[in-house]
Amino acid sequence: MLMHVINMGHDVFRANDKLAEKNRKLLEKHEVFAVNVMGAIGSGKTTLIEEAVKALKDRYRIAVIAGDVIAEMDASRFRKLGVPTVPANTGKECHLDAKLVEKALEELDLENIDLLIIENVGNLICPVDFKLGEELRVVAVSVSEGDDIILKHPMIFKTSELAVINKVDIAKAVDVNPETMKRDILILNPEIPVLLTSKHDKESLKAWIGYLEEGIKDMKGI
Amino acid sequence: MHEYSIACEILDQVLATARTHEAREIKSVTLDMGRLTHTNPEQLAFCFEVLAKDSIAEGAEFKVEMISPSIECDCGYSGPIEEPSGESEEEKLQSELLEYISALTCPKCGKNARIAGGRELLIRAIDIEK
Repeated sequence: MLMHVINMGHDVFRANDKLAEKNRKLLEKHEVFAVNVMGAIGSGKTTLIEEAVKALKDRYRIAVIAGDVIAEMDASRFRKLGVPTVPANTGKECHLDAKLVEKALEELDLENIDLLIIENVGNLICPVDFKLGEELRVVAVSVSEGDDIILKHPMIFKTSELAVINKVDIAKAVDVNPETMKRDILILNPEIPVLLTSKHDKESLKAWIGYLEEGIKDMKGI
Repeated sequence: MHEYSIACEILDQVLATARTHEAREIKSVTLDMGRLTHTNPEQLAFCFEVLAKDSIAEGAEFKVEMISPSIECDCGYSGPIEEPSGESEEEKLQSELLEYISALTCPKCGKNARIAGGRELLIRAIDIEK
């Protein structure tokens, strides 16, 4: 009997990273600005995306990948807005990965898309380790999750490029100060832009929508 | 909780490597796990143990070594961070993950630096019997 040590050096996450990079290059080639919208369950990700689609769809060609355990529910909300939508069912899984996005991209006419919004599964933990090929990583939370939600989930705020604190109109009712949440986000990631939004305050949504529009323009070089 | 699918991937990779080396049995699997990943070593070991049943990896020892984060700073520093001591009251309240993320400042210039290492999950080696 012979014992052998076999060195492997296989990075489990690297396989996903590589595929994500392939997706990113494909999207870049077609000048598609892709956004990965991550966030807590019930933080209003779907609503934020709906508002952005409504505001931008007359000027830009938009598509949505709706990722969820049962993706069809959210997908039907986006389809009502008249934009191409692909549901990406994760089944048992708690996050989207680059493979699921690669499959979803095959169903989209990338040549005719300016903005691709990918809604991740509602979860502040698992999506962090899985890049999808996005240009912008967004994390959304709402005040109803409580103001300690930020420091409990540091890595998602550390690795995102835009943070949205949603439902600020009900902050008093749930006894939360959105400024405390914003401060905590900035402690973890001093350079991240933090937006305070509410779907009932159209003015507050302008910054969110404007951020996406800037991204589209940057990608097209206009 | 995505330890199950990660354990599936690890088992696939390990079995494939063992097969190429004509192994009869896999005695142990050694992983390097970054402290900034959201993977729980105990849950991962449990999933692996269950999945490995009736394969040549059944009963293999599952060893996980934790890797501390390293950073790259604009000032030119690249290397390890100062390990959090976990001694103050405030640090005791924090999770290990938060402690490490709070410590991601450059030990040379004090600025917030980019994460260079600590997010990996590496199958380092397997011990096989031929």
